[in-house]
Amino acid sequence: MTAPTLEYAELAPLITVFGAAVIGVLIEAFVPRRARHTVQVVLALLALVASLVQVIALAGTEVVAAVGAVVIDGPALFLQGTILVLSIISIAFFAERKLEAGGDAFAPAASSLPGSDEERVLVRERRLQTEIYPLMLFAVAGMMLFPAANDLLIMFIALEVLSLPLYLMCGMARRRRLLSHEAALKYFLLGAFSSAVFLFGSAFVYGFAGSLRFSEISTALTTEIGKEGLLLSGVGLMAVGLLFKVGAVPFHAWTPDVYQGAPTPVTAFMAACTKLAAFGAMVRLFYVAFGGVRSDWQPMLWAVAIATMVVGAVVALTQTDIKRMLAYSSIAHAGFVLTALVAADQTATAAILFYLATYGIATLGAFAVVTLVRDSGGEATHLSKWAGLGKRSPIVAGTFALFLLAFAGIPMTSGFVGKLSVFAAAIDGGATPLVIVGVLASAVAAFFYVRVIVLMFFSAPAEEGPTVAVPSVWTTVGISLGAAATLLLGLVPGPLLDLAQQAAVFVR
Amino acid sequence: MMAVLIAAHLAAAALAPLLAGRLRSRVFLVLAVVPATAFAWLAARGGTVAGPDARSITQSTAWVDSLGMQLSFRLGTLSWVMALLVTGIGALVLVYSAYYFRPDETGLGRFSGLLTGFAGTMLGLVLADDLLLLYVFWELTTVFSYLLIGHNPDRRANRRAAMQALIVTTFGGLAMLVGVVIVGQAAGTYSISGVLADPPAGTAVSVAVVLLLVGAVSKSALVPFHFWLPAAMAAPTPVSAYLHAAAMVKAGVYVVALFAPALAGVLPWRPLLLTVGVATMLLGAWRALRQHDLKLLLAFGTVSQLGFLVVVLGVGTRSAALAGVAMLVAHALFKAALFLVVGIVDHGAGTRDLRLLSGLRRRMPVAFWAAVLAAASMAGVPPLAGFVAKESIVKAFVDVARTGDGTGIPPVAGWTVLVGLVAGSALTVAYSARFVWGAFATKPGVSEPAGIHSPPVGFAAAPALLALGGLALGFLGSAETPALAPYAEHYPEGVHHASLGLWHGLNLALVLSAVSLAAGAVMYWQRHAVARAQRGLRVGYEAEHGFRRTLRVVDRVAVEVTGATQRGSLPVYLVVIFVVVITVPGTALLMAGVGSVDLYGWDNPAQLAVGGVLVAAAILTARSGRRLKAVLLAGVTGYGMALLFMMHGAPDLALTQVLVETVTLAVFVLVLRSLPPRFSERPLTSTRWGRLGIGALVGALMAGFALVASAARTADPVSETFAERAEAEGRGHNVVNVILVDIRAWDTMGEISVLVVAATGVASLVFLITGRTGRWRPDEAIGSALDSHASSHPDGGRPSWLRAGGTLPPDRRSIVFEVVTRLAFHIIVVFSVYLLFSGHNMPGGGFAAGLVAGLALMMRYLAGGRHELNDAAPVDAGLVLGVGLFVATGTGLVPLAVGGAVLQSAVVDLSVPLLGHVHFTTSLFFDVGVYLVVVGLMLDVLRSLGSGVDRHGDESAENGRDEADEQHAQQERLGETR
Repeated sequence: MTAPTLEYAELAPLITVFGAAVIGVLIEAFVPRRARHTVQVVLALLALVASLVQVIALAGTEVVAAVGAVVIDGPALFLQGTILVLSIISIAFFAERKLEAGGDAFAPAASSLPGSDEERVLVRERRLQTEIYPLMLFAVAGMMLFPAANDLLIMFIALEVLSLPLYLMCGMARRRRLLSHEAALKYFLLGAFSSAVFLFGSAFVYGFAGSLRFSEISTALTTEIGKEGLLLSGVGLMAVGLLFKVGAVPFHAWTPDVYQGAPTPVTAFMAACTKLAAFGAMVRLFYVAFGGVRSDWQPMLWAVAIATMVVGAVVALTQTDIKRMLAYSSIAHAGFVLTALVAADQTATAAILFYLATYGIATLGAFAVVTLVRDSGGEATHLSKWAGLGKRSPIVAGTFALFLLAFAGIPMTSGFVGKLSVFAAAIDGGATPLVIVGVLASAVAAFFYVRVIVLMFFSAPAEEGPTVAVPSVWTTVGISLGAAATLLLGLVPGPLLDLAQQAAVFVR
Repeated sequence: MMAVLIAAHLAAAALAPLLAGRLRSRVFLVLAVVPATAFAWLAARGGTVAGPDARSITQSTAWVDSLGMQLSFRLGTLSWVMALLVTGIGALVLVYSAYYFRPDETGLGRFSGLLTGFAGTMLGLVLADDLLLLYVFWELTTVFSYLLIGHNPDRRANRRAAMQALIVTTFGGLAMLVGVVIVGQAAGTYSISGVLADPPAGTAVSVAVVLLLVGAVSKSALVPFHFWLPAAMAAPTPVSAYLHAAAMVKAGVYVVALFAPALAGVLPWRPLLLTVGVATMLLGAWRALRQHDLKLLLAFGTVSQLGFLVVVLGVGTRSAALAGVAMLVAHALFKAALFLVVGIVDHGAGTRDLRLLSGLRRRMPVAFWAAVLAAASMAGVPPLAGFVAKESIVKAFVDVARTGDGTGIPPVAGWTVLVGLVAGSALTVAYSARFVWGAFATKPGVSEPAGIHSPPVGFAAAPALLALGGLALGFLGSAETPALAPYAEHYPEGVHHASLGLWHGLNLALVLSAVSLAAGAVMYWQRHAVARAQRGLRVGYEAEHGFRRTLRVVDRVAVEVTGATQRGSLPVYLVVIFVVVITVPGTALLMAGVGSVDLYGWDNPAQLAVGGVLVAAAILTARSGRRLKAVLLAGVTGYGMALLFMMHGAPDLALTQVLVETVTLAVFVLVLRSLPPRFSERPLTSTRWGRLGIGALVGALMAGFALVASAARTADPVSETFAERAEAEGRGHNVVNVILVDIRAWDTMGEISVLVVAATGVASLVFLITGRTGRWRPDEAIGSALDSHASSHPDGGRPSWLRAGGTLPPDRRSIVFEVVTRLAFHIIVVFSVYLLFSGHNMPGGGFAAGLVAGLALMMRYLAGGRHELNDAAPVDAGLVLGVGLFVATGTGLVPLAVGGAVLQSAVVDLSVPLLGHVHFTTSLFFDVGVYLVVVGLMLDVLRSLGSGVDRHGDESAENGRDEADEQHAQQERLGETR
């Protein structure tokens, strides 16, 4: 048996992040506590930037790497690059220490019991939790591997590598820790079940095709006759796992609870990046491996897309918590992406890539703004507390309004171009009814986004309302970047759209 | 140049707040220069884009290539007319605003900026030659109008009206977006001129037409969306004049006029527009007659006129098109003038209620005469522009009713529409008269409002100019006809040659015009009777109520759906996922998989009996309310499995299974000590039965999947050769053991590594909770587990033989058990070593042996408490684990040093003095590593879950019950209590 040859140059972005994550664990063990926070942040930033540089240098590469298990092609590189950019901004939010009087958004020690003496001592000592950075790097590495996986097993491994750190990170909030723990537990249990279902499905597909490679599965679709039961059960089960990760109805139930309970920077990170990675993987799996039986899976995704858009938009109407509202909005947006996914062609891929990138940026920015609006109990997430915010801090409220308008798909924001491109792709792919449902859902969604804007600008400020904290330069830069990108991609979306168009070809 | 003009508006809008700071209300005068310049530029292009030799001016820049979006503009006849109205009236309204607002009014910068920006986007809308660009401007006008209506947001009515306008028009806008995209995809181009030149057809285009019209109808406030426009009258009057007379509401009409040449023939364009238009015209006019607020009167009048315009421009004949554009212009002139007059009246008299106004005719002569001219134009009185347009319209529709005029409209429908239009015109005459009377007449019994002041010249100039424009246009019909003809020539020549003019001879159209004027006059004369009739006819239902009800229903549905799906309950979420798994992949399985499975009952009837016990135990486990009972019953299933293994002839597997089951049971019991005895205090509820059912279904499904999967096997199992290879390569007779330590040693390596990690994790978690005084001190925590000397003999004497005294109360000790344990311990350990060494050829092996040794340690702990355990194994569990892993890894690596492969094994035959011949394979050392890891794990588990939890209990007993309560509360929350 000879050792397999690896394409180190093409895999370098992944290796960089994985390596940095491992080094991060070692730092936890060996670097003195006082220096640890700085070292971790610098390491994480360096690793992500280095990886991003490598991804950019690889642009245009189309290689099947790692003995066929990983593909480095347009969609993979586009998504990896986007995930890296979003992660770099997320690091800025993670490292924010000005909002919590010397602390960050995370519990000083995740293992200390809420309300215990130990917790009080640690808070008093301004202990900072640094495990979050290696965890985040592991998650990022998993997310980068997920859409590049060309093999059922690698896909499952990537799914777990990205999920497990996220489960932990969700439980690390500094404030309202029980809620955070509950979120982590729910996410973990439901996620574990879905992963198991996904794995079960992969086993079936393997049983059908006799191979784990997407390309060989695709070939088997035409050569293997009489085992469709195995294949379709497998496709259905795998879809459950992936749809859970993107938060599609009826596997969405965790989303609001987890988004609300998790520390807001983590919510921002996972809302933006998980969706990217999971949709990337889903597109590759369904187009490359299962493209030959699209008539079998399309009806299922039609139903899921409709349910997702409708439930996401309608239920968001009644939310009174800003984080929960954004969670439902993320569900509705997953539905919009699904409308393009059912079209299953290159235009659709490009539309999805563009949509995910713009949505990720706006989401990151919106959640970051949420971290700024605070009262004595931490973040003031109840909507009623946001009343009249535009009078008190017009810039913060204006920025938030910009993100909301982008979510609503109003022209001159990136959201409009994104929505237009997915809807156009869906119509092209013959899914006009889906688009009509999508538009109705968009109208409902626009209603609740605008309601928040009205609340911020046209309502009288609440008595003893929250204050808008002045963040450090980290968060300011992060939010400004997000806002600028949202606006710019609405005005001049051409370059990114072209990039997505060029990147939208899968290597088989 | 067109793009520059639009950009200039937007730039001026951006600068407005800066300018307003210094100039106050004069900022409007400065801003008015921008639309005025645009108006001049457009007027100068009249010779090119209108008239006999008209050609379009186009300009195009790539914007978003991949979506086919272009910044392309096109100045054709229709857009030229619209652009003139937008810029001309825009400039006048801005000038007017300079007088309307007090210099010290707040928010002038914002307001003036928004108004100018709105003018810019509206200009962009009428000039756009790209469907998507059109949509972009369309939505921007929505947003701007929303902000303008919401000006002065302190009033709740304003906020509500703004929101309503926004929702209705955004909804329409989104519908239009889909229509636009469908049309664009069907036509293969998003260029408007391209679509007009080569109109697409098909079912999809019919859908697109409906969607486009929904957009147009909602924007132009036609039935059933008409309610937002009157509500939007909460905006300042200049906004009403501009947005709701000249600009925004005309956007819908413009889109209808723009696409009618291409799409009028597509069903359901004509039926939809004619029905909606006529209905709107009648309803709006009828309600206008009833209003007391002058602005509302005009607003309903606008609704009515918009319906009228849509009918005329949508019907799609040449004469109607020409007359329609003329009407568009006339309407913009007179409606803007009237609104501006209302602003002056409101300003001067302090009220707009026509019941309170009296005697203004003398106080405001200029405004009065402007209003008279404009209202006469609205009523269609000769010789004004309104009359010229209306006359031509009636004539065009007489043609349609008589012959269809190329539209294919049946005569019945044609005549109905004509009657509707004439009736609407009559009502228009009536409310026009009512407006003039209401605003300016001297009414008996109504005192003049106090403090009336006549407007300054500049204030009244704008409405006066507009009204005079209407008069002038009336005489310019012969010039207007050729100018507008290029638009009408999109249609084939009609029954009569279309032209505009004051006199077309004595014909049916003139008669109908006269009839409507006369009927209107009668209605005005008999206005009290009409009012009585209206009160009698008042309908309970209004579209606005429908709108509100829709919102309420959506809200309600949202609440219900949230309540149903988002319970916060983990079991409910899981149930949803499982139900989907059962229905979707389950169905696929049933459809396709079942037939392929070949089943037989049993090899041996005893299996059936064991299986029965297994099933019964499993069911009882799921139904059990007590934790301990559930654990014991789960244990029964495990032992049952061991029996099944036994019957299959796998003693080694059975042995391991029994040991694992025993250890698991013991560990469970250790943990259960500190948990409540029952899972839940609640009785079994009915939902539980449902969940039980779903659980059973999922179980059955998974079993089904497993069966189908194993039946689908086509290749030979990899294990088939294992028996031979165990003998030949591994030199062992126990195949299971050889698989573990040789054939698949890599797997075992990974597994023991995981074991080490898991053990360390469990231990650190438990000790972390124990070391709760402030920070984690692992060395101290584990050290204190080994502190046998400090506490076990407090009298300071020799350690006693039995060590239970230090931890167990006398009534819980059993001397017999302690002594027997002491005696048996060493024998069991020796037995475990025997199992370890013999495992290669007989049942046993490192894993089983380690478990046996672990059980021996556990007996010591159970009999005598933690000090007894420390005596039996006076080592740190981490050390044992580490050594184990080290030995296993070392065994794997040594062959590398002598030139073999990792984990390769070799046979060793030695002759040792005293022992004689020794024969073993080097994989034995690997097994020793496994043994040590398992023993270390057991020690770790006993130390943490046993001793650690004991100490924790002792401490929390001291610290009071509060923390335990807190933990309990947390469990409650995490559980299914929600």
